Amino acid sequence: MASVWVKSIANLPVLSVFLLLVLCLPPGGGQKKKENLLSEKVDQMMEWSSRRSVVRMNGDKFRRFVKAPPRNYSVIVMFTALQPQRQCSVCRQANEEYQVLANSWRYSSAFSNKLFFTVVDYDEGADVFQQLNMNSAPTFMHFPAKGKPKRADTFDLQRIGFASEQLAKWIADRTDVQIRVFRPPNYSGTIALALLVSLVGGLLYLRRNNLEFIYNKTGWAMAALCVVFAMTSGQMWNHIRGPPYAHKNPQNGQVSYIHGSSQAQFVAESHIILLLNAAITMGMVLLNEAATSKGDVGKRRIICLVGLGLVVFFFSFLLSIFRSKYHGYPYSFLIK
Amino acid sequence: MKSSPNKGVLLQYWLSGALGGWGGTSDGKHKASTNAGGSVHGNSRPGAAGGGGGKVGLSGGLTQPAGWQSLLSFSILFLACLAGFSSRLFAVIRFESIIHEFDPWFNYRSTHHLTTNGFYEFLNWFDERAWYPLGRIVGGTVYPGLMVTAGLIHYVLNLLHITVHIRDVCVFLAPVFSGLTAISTFLLTRELWNQGAGLLAACFIAIVPGYISRSVAGSFDNEGIAIFALQFTYYLWVKSVKTGSVFWTIGCCLSYFYMVSAWGGYVFIINLIPLHVFVLLLMQRYSRRVYIAYSTFYIVGLVLSMQIPFVGFQPIRTSEHMAAAGVFALLQAYAFLQYLKDRLTRQEFQTLFFLGVSLAAGMVFLTVIYLTYTGLYVRLLTCYAKIHIPIIASVSEHQPTTWVSFFFDLHILVCTFPAGLWFCIKNINDERVFVALYAISAVYFAGVMVRLMLTLTPVVCMLSAVAFSSVFEHYMGDDTKREKPPEKAEEGLGPNIKSIVTMLMLMLLMMFAVHCTWVTSNAYSSPSVVLASYNHDGTRNILDDFREAYYWLRQNTDEHARVMSWWDYGYQIAGMANRTTLVDNNTWNNSHIALVGKAMSSNESAAYQIMRSLDVDYVLIIFGGVIGYSGDDINKFLWMVRIAEGEHPKDIRESDYFTPQGEFRVDKAGSPTLLNCLMYKMSYYRFGEMQVRRGALTPPGFDRTRNAEIGNKDIKFKHLEEAFTSEHWLVRIYKVKKLDNREPLDHKLRSVVPKQKYTSKKVPLMLGGEFALQVWRDSFRFS
Repeated sequence: MASVWVKSIANLPVLSVFLLLVLCLPPGGGQKKKENLLSEKVDQMMEWSSRRSVVRMNGDKFRRFVKAPPRNYSVIVMFTALQPQRQCSVCRQANEEYQVLANSWRYSSAFSNKLFFTVVDYDEGADVFQQLNMNSAPTFMHFPAKGKPKRADTFDLQRIGFASEQLAKWIADRTDVQIRVFRPPNYSGTIALALLVSLVGGLLYLRRNNLEFIYNKTGWAMAALCVVFAMTSGQMWNHIRGPPYAHKNPQNGQVSYIHGSSQAQFVAESHIILLLNAAITMGMVLLNEAATSKGDVGKRRIICLVGLGLVVFFFSFLLSIFRSKYHGYPYSFLIK
Repeated sequence: MKSSPNKGVLLQYWLSGALGGWGGTSDGKHKASTNAGGSVHGNSRPGAAGGGGGKVGLSGGLTQPAGWQSLLSFSILFLACLAGFSSRLFAVIRFESIIHEFDPWFNYRSTHHLTTNGFYEFLNWFDERAWYPLGRIVGGTVYPGLMVTAGLIHYVLNLLHITVHIRDVCVFLAPVFSGLTAISTFLLTRELWNQGAGLLAACFIAIVPGYISRSVAGSFDNEGIAIFALQFTYYLWVKSVKTGSVFWTIGCCLSYFYMVSAWGGYVFIINLIPLHVFVLLLMQRYSRRVYIAYSTFYIVGLVLSMQIPFVGFQPIRTSEHMAAAGVFALLQAYAFLQYLKDRLTRQEFQTLFFLGVSLAAGMVFLTVIYLTYTGLYVRLLTCYAKIHIPIIASVSEHQPTTWVSFFFDLHILVCTFPAGLWFCIKNINDERVFVALYAISAVYFAGVMVRLMLTLTPVVCMLSAVAFSSVFEHYMGDDTKREKPPEKAEEGLGPNIKSIVTMLMLMLLMMFAVHCTWVTSNAYSSPSVVLASYNHDGTRNILDDFREAYYWLRQNTDEHARVMSWWDYGYQIAGMANRTTLVDNNTWNNSHIALVGKAMSSNESAAYQIMRSLDVDYVLIIFGGVIGYSGDDINKFLWMVRIAEGEHPKDIRESDYFTPQGEFRVDKAGSPTLLNCLMYKMSYYRFGEMQVRRGALTPPGFDRTRNAEIGNKDIKFKHLEEAFTSEHWLVRIYKVKKLDNREPLDHKLRSVVPKQKYTSKKVPLMLGGEFALQVWRDSFRFS
């Protein structure tokens, strides 16, 4: 009866303290011990998280500080496998985002003992994974201050991704703690740019007596063609969408480099297309070279035939790849 | 030669005058004797040849090679225009003369408004039938070039007593303009390379799918005329850089003005031309001609572009136009320095130069800091920054481009145009700098967004034409007929190899033509207002459900009825049904769209609240489950949820619409939120009783689009009733019931003496019927 009482009026802190004092005095030290335990736990957690923004846990610690009932703080737990032998690259990326988030919280002005960030590595707490019936990593879970975690307390990684902004949104949703994500500014781009500029400048300075190479049309033409090939083979799509390099069929281990649908592509595929396009262009240029250059006729004939072969063969190859992707396309040339 | 005005024949005169200088190179298929050199440079400067066209009549004109060339190129150009026009008519022949898709319906509606009410009325048009209850100022928020063009053509034709309907003008506008595009591409390529390449480029652009996709008959959209304006502006620009005459530059400005009035893509021009000038400065190719051309262009073009109401003061405010202003200032400074160079001693000049440079550098630095600070710089560089806003991400045109799209739209041109670029850069001059920059920038933008393939297409056609033309030039000529047979050692590839190369190249071009026709016929010629399906024996079924439903709305509903639908169908409802819509394809108000999305994804009673507050009378949805149409509202539903979640995160959660396994399913395993939301109920109302004819094995209520038996067959409405369902169930319209006379109260009525004597009877008299009713209802609610 008393516990029901306590539970029902727990929302009214002042009253509850008063009533606790009144109601719980006869039973004696149990409640007091609980409070001591609680403050002890909070102190411990605070100490850990002041040392490191993400608290590492093993099985025992997890059961004691996260699972065990007397708690007035929420805990976000990342279940992961960071050991190099596990080869979980997603875990590492997720971990970085998680660290960014935890640091944002740790050094924000709103930092309090209401929310802690912890991590459980599979190799340190495999029993926790078994206990929670968890068979995939990384997983983010929220353990609320009261009650058991519900369905929405598991972060939907598949759908939302693990960007720290999304995590912060989810945490705000679950715990009403707003975290403003502060990313440490990324200087690598600036540094790379500065390096490049200084390199080019240095090169120009070293060769200041002979700046002819700037007027080298071939170099500029090459650079222009590189841009064109990169774009027409869909590198920008790769950059934005981030497809896998190639697809390995898990059943028979066959690797396919060409995506079956016309809506998507693999990185390897775009490289193949880039090479094909470049070969066809080279063929056209060679054809032209053969006709205009002044040299041995036999040599020019060979150049001409090579150019023609490049154009015709690689174009039909390109067409056949296109045909295999764009179902229902009726035309082909030389190669089916 | 321009020096032949005394030629007797009009045709001859026109051709030689209009087609300008014969550079001695031909279209490749007909090799002139004057081109014995056969160099790849192919410059179009008037050579020594062909100039002696003294006293010639008709026969004299045709016995001369130049005369034949003129006639031939004229006919090739004409045939290219004709081919371009006719290959865009698939949809008209298969279906009828009808406006396609979504945006064209708005353009058509405003053109109709323009022709019936006049130009000034159009400029001041406030459309109260869109974005209810907000309305939309149409005159100030559209590029009027398209409507004015169509209206003008209609006016002229009617003046000549050729009475065509404005719809036919609109339908055939884009194919006609594709012919003009072919001509301006020819002119531009001739300026860049030679006449032969120009003719090939005209042929390419006439049939290339990348351009046809936006200019089939019936697709009455800005891009259809804008590509012509784009190419023509570039032609005049190149011409003015070449000649340095104000005449050509003013022409360029007028063409630019037309482009600004037609399409938002004019930003591409106003950045590319300054880039060209800037690179010319860097390459130390500064000349008086460039100075005159750019100074005139910038000032006159700026003033003209600000005349368009929708553009207004943007050219001096926004970051997209800042590059042009910067280059203008730079050019003035450079010209000033050039001027001083002649007047000052070397020492003085150097001091001044350093002062000027450091000042300029400081200015640029401050500007960059400012731009970076305001975040504009980033927006300028990364076009896909907006990708995270769902309403922009939901449009398929805004996706990046795979290589398949490139190949699909350009076929062989995409693999050969780098060769043309190579030739251009290897033989660089002022105007080839321009085309190289055009190619590189356009290919970048096309890579970022599928939609911008359109701006890439013309330059690809031009450069491919350069590549093919230079091959044909060398391999197609007939050695024996040369007047000056060159030495054996030089000319020696032999006729066999030459003819093999020519034949294979022609074969590739033939495949290109076949590909273009196939793509046009299969992918780009569907009006999407009328659908067609084919039976096993090849006969065709026309599914005209959309128009059936829109005309039902037009005939059977109140003139001021408000129709709620997803934004895709807003323009069509306004155009065909002539009813007020809540949201449409001009997606300017995200929160309004989110409200509609929220109504669609809430349960019925919550949705009824929203619909009541928006005064909705009818709800229109598209449902493809009966015929297997995949572009229906259930398939778009997740976008509605996402957009609604963006604005109302407390009420709508995307995860609620998924199964615990993270799947989107409409069958029994689907999430209960989905199975009870308004969109689901409206789509599948009475569908559970229906046996779709597809073998006897399928259960009733089998959705052919998603291949699933629906999970909620017992659907009942409380606040809605079915008003209309089209023949193939493609369009379903529901009527929103008015509130019941009196809501049933769950407590006992208070006995209040009605204060009837104080509610003045004047109120219903003073206010019109409906509003009075509203007042009465409100007073009832509060009592």
